[in-house]
Amino acid sequence: MMHIALVGNPNTGKTSLFNQLTGTYEYVGNWSGVTVEKKVGVLRNKQAKVIDLPGVYSLHPLSRDERVVTQFLLTESFDEMLNIVDASQLERNLLLTVQLLEFGKPLAIALNMVDVAERRGIFIDQTKLATMLRVPVVPVVARTGKGCDQVEHMLLEKATEQTEPLTLFYGGAMERAIERFRAAWGTEEKFPVRWLAIQFYEGNSYVRDYVAEKLPEATWRSLYEQAEKEVQQAEQMSLAQLIYERRRSFVKEIIEQSVQRKEIERVTLTERIDAVVTNKYVGIPIFLLAMYVLFQLTFDWIGAPLSDLLDAFFAGPLTDSMTAVLKAIGASEFIRALIVDGIIAGVGGVLVFVPQIFILFFFISFLEDSGYMARVALVMDRLMEAVGLNGKAFIPLIIGFGCNVPGVMAARTIEQPRERLVTMLLTPLMSCSARLPVYALFVGAFFATHQALVVLSLYVLGVSLALILAKLFSLTILKEESSVFVVELPPYRMPQWQALWRSTWDKGKGFVKKAGTFIFGGSVAIWLLSYVGPHGVNVNMDDSFLAMIGSVLAPLLAPLGFGTWQAGAALLTGFLAKEVVVSTMNIIYHVPDVESLQGLMASHFTALSAFSFMVFVLLYVPCLATVATIYKETRSRKWTMFSIGYALVLAYIVSFVIYQAGSLFGF
Amino acid sequence: MVAMTQLRVGERAKIVDLSRVSDLVKRRLLDMGVTEGAEICLKCTMPLGGPFMIENCGQCVGIRRNEAMNIQVKPL
Ligand SMILES: Nc1nc2c(ncn2[C@@H]2O[C@H](COP(=O)(O)OP(=O)(O)OP(=O)(O)O)[C@@H](O)[C@H]2O)c(=O)[nH]1
Ligand SMILES: [Mg+2]
Repeated sequence: MMHIALVGNPNTGKTSLFNQLTGTYEYVGNWSGVTVEKKVGVLRNKQAKVIDLPGVYSLHPLSRDERVVTQFLLTESFDEMLNIVDASQLERNLLLTVQLLEFGKPLAIALNMVDVAERRGIFIDQTKLATMLRVPVVPVVARTGKGCDQVEHMLLEKATEQTEPLTLFYGGAMERAIERFRAAWGTEEKFPVRWLAIQFYEGNSYVRDYVAEKLPEATWRSLYEQAEKEVQQAEQMSLAQLIYERRRSFVKEIIEQSVQRKEIERVTLTERIDAVVTNKYVGIPIFLLAMYVLFQLTFDWIGAPLSDLLDAFFAGPLTDSMTAVLKAIGASEFIRALIVDGIIAGVGGVLVFVPQIFILFFFISFLEDSGYMARVALVMDRLMEAVGLNGKAFIPLIIGFGCNVPGVMAARTIEQPRERLVTMLLTPLMSCSARLPVYALFVGAFFATHQALVVLSLYVLGVSLALILAKLFSLTILKEESSVFVVELPPYRMPQWQALWRSTWDKGKGFVKKAGTFIFGGSVAIWLLSYVGPHGVNVNMDDSFLAMIGSVLAPLLAPLGFGTWQAGAALLTGFLAKEVVVSTMNIIYHVPDVESLQGLMASHFTALSAFSFMVFVLLYVPCLATVATIYKETRSRKWTMFSIGYALVLAYIVSFVIYQAGSLFGF
Repeated sequence: MVAMTQLRVGERAKIVDLSRVSDLVKRRLLDMGVTEGAEICLKCTMPLGGPFMIENCGQCVGIRRNEAMNIQVKPL
């Protein structure tokens, strides 16, 4: 099957087009660096594979996500490239196109965002552009799907054509340097030698590594140094500068001939919004307000009532009808107990929080798709600078509120390796949606009057600790490296309902799926452990295996205020996924619904120990999926262990302080 | 010729010299089309020495104050 790679600048709509072409959903958002890894899909007519890649400005990578693209082009086989070009930012987009044309693979251009361009008074003569670049050009609006059929046609027809790599004249000195490279290199099957030479001289680190594999160090070094010297003499420019300038004048020429501008003198909506949200004085307050409204909506205004309704349904009609059905078919008492006390209690106890979680994801999706995310990076940069990170690190943290796994992945766009590592280590401190059921359970039982406030305090605690630790890490284990910050601020776009729903569902379905797998399995296992003990089956729960396991931990947890085997067992299972803590509690306390569980817990916890428990759940070890992602991203066992270790220590210390200080003050 | 930090919010200027900007930041600025000769407009600044937001050809970019200090511009 034919393989087509989507390549283009960040935030130009590659993934939107990918979704249109394949009929699937991958992560779309309005900032640079949404896609951080390669994604493969199949065209709707099943004739070709499409590969979505992170956005890049050039083939010379600076950050981890950009490296993915260069690595893909150099090491993987594909038949054709589809270059997605943002029509409203033609100049910088075509700079990349030039490099792709030099690469010589068959290429077609999808001219995206023509709607935005026209609104700004930019009109592109696509036939002219196509003749000048000698590649097919199709205008599209990836957001609505306009023109996507033509793109598909073009892709399938194009496959047979063979293109010659573009040859741009870089001036005498540079051309001689390219010839010297060609002589030293010899024959090459995979890429045009000229492309390799230009990328090498431009300073592309990935290409340099590739070159260094074949040529002895002395050879490539002297090639580079000689070129640098000669170009400096002839043009008074550095190599990279010369290459950039030549490409730019080529692009300028093309734009001059194919673009018409109509002066439209008006203040754009983006400028008007920015005048407020990035205002010097109200920028930060507005961000905090937005966060506050988000929590109120999730926990108080909409989410909580919906969850209560669902809880009533699980506890009442569902349990009753299930019991009736089981009785009717003559199921044994063991089966009845497994299904009603194990599965419905365990899985249902988590599923009741689906409304709250979807509301949270809905607003996170809204933040992502509107364009506000990049502004948050700008507004928070000063604070992040103070703790040794940069504003861009705030984006993974916010995504982490939804789920830590994509949060850790999003750190790929941070250029400096050290900052990226610290961000990955700290993202698990962001209170993800899986922890929300735990809070909801305890808050409902012990803090009925100030629910949202108590939950908010936990979120704030997570963020504050992350900032303090960032400072600590950057001062001690991870010094050196200066921090850099350059962020692209895209125009605001009103998210479309459909896109928002797709995005919310895409995030939320993970939670529902987990309920069907991890939590289902966990519930069955926990129930079994609580059902059997050393002295046989159907034992009193205090004599079960679960109690035995939990009591090993109990004395350790006593100074934190919850030294019971129940708490120990719940925390242990919570490593799988934090919402399993709730499942375990439901099963252990053997109650049909959240409401009666809350009543029962009052005899095992005080308000203070409940708070201490929530803090512990917030901080103690990232969940299994997050740990796996941290390992995948750092490729280091040491840092993965560290992420677990520091979190455990931190959780213990903070909970200890809260409980002991609280007790002193008589709470 | 003045440093970018001397501009007032809303003022337009032409970039004259980027040579004192750190390499990584310069690369990123070039990527986004902010080069010597480009016309920019200072959109806003964040308090307490926070970042600057500049606009170039309809594209907004945020950079740190200490980098902006190293960018020489000519007000228009
Ligand atoms: N107005 C308009 N908006 C578009 C169009 N295509 C995409 N968008 C929006 O542009 C934003 C970026 O889209 P993505 O598909 O995530 O862009 P990307 O190129 O994959 O971005 P990265 O993965 O970050 O490189 C989203 O908010 C889209 O809704 C278009 O043709 N017109
Ligand atoms: Mg993408």
